[in-house]
Amino acid sequence: MNVKRYKQIRIAVALFVGFIVSIAAVQDSYILAFFGVITGMIFLVLVRSKTKIKIDEREKTIREKAAQMTYAIFAPTIGIGAFLLLILSYGKISVFSKGDFTYLESLGMIFAYLTLFLITLYAISYYFFNRKYGGGGNEE
Amino acid sequence: MKNKIKVFRAMHDLTQEQLAEKLDVSRQTIIAIESNRYLPSLGLAFKIANLFKVKVEDVFVNGN
Repeated sequence: MNVKRYKQIRIAVALFVGFIVSIAAVQDSYILAFFGVITGMIFLVLVRSKTKIKIDEREKTIREKAAQMTYAIFAPTIGIGAFLLLILSYGKISVFSKGDFTYLESLGMIFAYLTLFLITLYAISYYFFNRKYGGGGNEE
Repeated sequence: MKNKIKVFRAMHDLTQEQLAEKLDVSRQTIIAIESNRYLPSLGLAFKIANLFKVKVEDVFVNGN
């Protein structure tokens, strides 16, 4: 199976899963949604295993750059978002609506921990790859 | 960095698809290298040179 065919099947599966999940949402059935998604995932894994997908160095470079850019944008955005939400919740400043902001602090804390998790993950993977590619040693 | 892959490919009567197959890369990669939009790794550069049985510096030329 070639990549073009695989992409077509992937779109069909996405449509199928979307359809099943929307039916599940209408019928308020979590089980149907769950099995719809699981079926889609299993089917895609099986199809992918039959497809000869070539990932060469250019593709890897593109992925690296995309990941780098995603991190560079996402980390500060979510960090600043967390900071602003926490400031708003502690300062009791109404910005979004006139009601109480019960979830602002929780959301701010989630964002803050998410930022922390992201930075920690980056630091760990940086350390790992730095060692893998010869950095961190004192040899001369 | 410029390259003469297109020339060598024509000399060996290879299509982009065939060259990609031999180098185990995608056709898009060959197109990108030929049009100087992507600089290949040292490994791939040697692989290309070995395929055409020439030196790396014969395929890849430094400068404008």
